[in-house]
Amino acid sequence: MTQQELADRVGVTRQTILSIEKGKYTPSVALALALAEVFEVVVEELFELKKGENDG
Amino acid sequence: MARSEFREWRPTRTSLFAGGLILIGFWLTSVSWWFLLLVGLGTFGPGVLREMGWLGDKDEFQRRADHRAGYHAFLTAGFAAFGLVAFFRSGERVVRDSEELATLFLALLWFTWFLSSLLAYWGTEKTVVRILSVFGFAWLGFAILGNVGSEWSGWPALLLHPLLSAPFFVLAWVSKRWPRPAGILLLVAALFFFQFFQMFRRDNLALVTEGVTFILFLGPLLASGIALLASERGFGANPRDA
Repeated sequence: MTQQELADRVGVTRQTILSIEKGKYTPSVALALALAEVFEVVVEELFELKKGENDG
Repeated sequence: MARSEFREWRPTRTSLFAGGLILIGFWLTSVSWWFLLLVGLGTFGPGVLREMGWLGDKDEFQRRADHRAGYHAFLTAGFAAFGLVAFFRSGERVVRDSEELATLFLALLWFTWFLSSLLAYWGTEKTVVRILSVFGFAWLGFAILGNVGSEWSGWPALLLHPLLSAPFFVLAWVSKRWPRPAGILLLVAALFFFQFFQMFRRDNLALVTEGVTFILFLGPLLASGIALLASERGFGANPRDA
């Protein structure tokens, strides 16, 4: 699946998918769930919370 | 943005319409300055409509980038406002032309918003490298054209003057490998140029000239330095590799 196809399926731009892949952007819960649904996995398999990431 | 992203980029209908309003507005200012309001409408109108929920042309990443850029513009303009009030209250200084002050603030707001957007879309290191490269090539261009255009000052000058652009290319190289030290060097460079240009030292200064020099010349250096020191990681995600 290309980035554009994935972007179209979850209703965002390819720029957003690219930024998520590069770790530049944390998606909203809704988008994370939509991505997980496309890949037929649970959200935790796509994203992880690294230590200290949620501080402040 | 990678090369392929540039090829894929297409302006949306909203940005085309807003861009058209801005151009027409500027063009009509030759008739009346009231048409500058059209420029304001084109610049800020789409954002207002998005905040009202009447325009949904951006996805969540773009909206968040816009919000951050707006907040950065607010912080910068806020600091500038306090600095200017202190500056004018501290002596017998007056603003010769109040429209200059408003223009300066508009430039500051827009430029901060623009730089912050670049940081959001390209990431810190790529943005800093590109900004410094643009600076380097601009200096190089000025150095070469200055020698060719004016009286011929000889081959040594033609060869030596372009060396002034070298620090920018060196900093671009350093910022990719050692972002934090490069950030400090950029802030030092900005302070050096602040001193070099003797900025904001005189009473009744030419506010726009000084301000625009500050925004266009020191602004990118300051913003790049701060971004590198802050270890900007976009919006900080950790997607798994899978």
